[in-house]
Amino acid sequence: MKRFIAGFLTGAAFLVLLVVLIAQLGLVDVCADAAIPSWFATWFSASVHRSVARQASSVSPLAPATDADVSAGGKLYLNDCVGCHGEPGKPQSDFGATFYPPAPQLATAGTTYTEAQIYWVAKQGIRRTGMGAQAGSYSDEKLRQLAAFIYRMRTLPPDILKEIQAKPEPPQKAEPQK
Amino acid sequence: MKTFLLGFLAAIVILPLSAAAFLRLGFADVNGDADPPVWEKRFMYTAVHRAIARREGGSVETPATTDERLVAGGKLYLNGCAGCHGELRKPFEEDRSLYPRAPQLPHIGTQYTEPQIYWIVKHGIRMTAMSAYGRFYSEQELWSIAAFIHQIRSLPLGVRERILAKSVNAAP
Repeated sequence: MKRFIAGFLTGAAFLVLLVVLIAQLGLVDVCADAAIPSWFATWFSASVHRSVARQASSVSPLAPATDADVSAGGKLYLNDCVGCHGEPGKPQSDFGATFYPPAPQLATAGTTYTEAQIYWVAKQGIRRTGMGAQAGSYSDEKLRQLAAFIYRMRTLPPDILKEIQAKPEPPQKAEPQK
Repeated sequence: MKTFLLGFLAAIVILPLSAAAFLRLGFADVNGDADPPVWEKRFMYTAVHRAIARREGGSVETPATTDERLVAGGKLYLNGCAGCHGELRKPFEEDRSLYPRAPQLPHIGTQYTEPQIYWIVKHGIRMTAMSAYGRFYSEQELWSIAAFIHQIRSLPLGVRERILAKSVNAAP
């Protein structure tokens, strides 16, 4: 048993050394413009989902979304999220594809997160991805509206979607441009 | 000896599997608004710098730097990079959104060489918010951005003003 433990500890030390060596000698491939292996993408996404489910369980229940919330959230989405996550009815985002891992295409592929989880992700961001924490840019109320829209994006009646897409720019931003 | 080897093998099989399972079951925090621990920052920083030095050790010929190229690169920087990496005019403010943090280049500069910056902008960095811009900029533009970022804290006299002046005219 003593020998087994000694062997186990040696093995553990060997692994740590191996990881440190590979990383610190620069042997890890860091370029983001390579195809992500599908096993890694699957494992990474599943791990993140599990962790979000655990961490987002602390979010207190969100106020039920009204039509106005969904519409307001849609405008926010069209302003700030489409660049990476794709616009409903449009081709997937080229820019979102240049991240490693690539940004999920919410408009075409949707999401399996719940509304509260979407709220949490938008607010806190996701480590080791291009998803930044938006808490500094949006109030909790706006984040709630954003989550309400993203959650329903693919099941919205076409006329409501059209209405949201009609004026994607908020007036105060569009005015000084002209 | 046999028991020792058995223990060694057990460690090599069990530990990576447990690590994978630990992550897969969601036990690692994923919120991006946390501050990365110092050891992690150092470890990843060295790993990435060395990996890029290995890929781009100076084999590529760098175009000669002119004020014109610096101004062009600076303009591109203000349009496409400043959002995450910091505006030229604003005081230092640490990134609190991305994990790992986006380096605030106008304030801390960079230790990468010019070809390495070119490489990073073109290919991006995995598992960070630095995406690959190779398909959005021409080779010439990529090199201009690299030249500008390389000298971002030591720009020749007048270049900074020209970059900022042009961006002001372009905005309205």
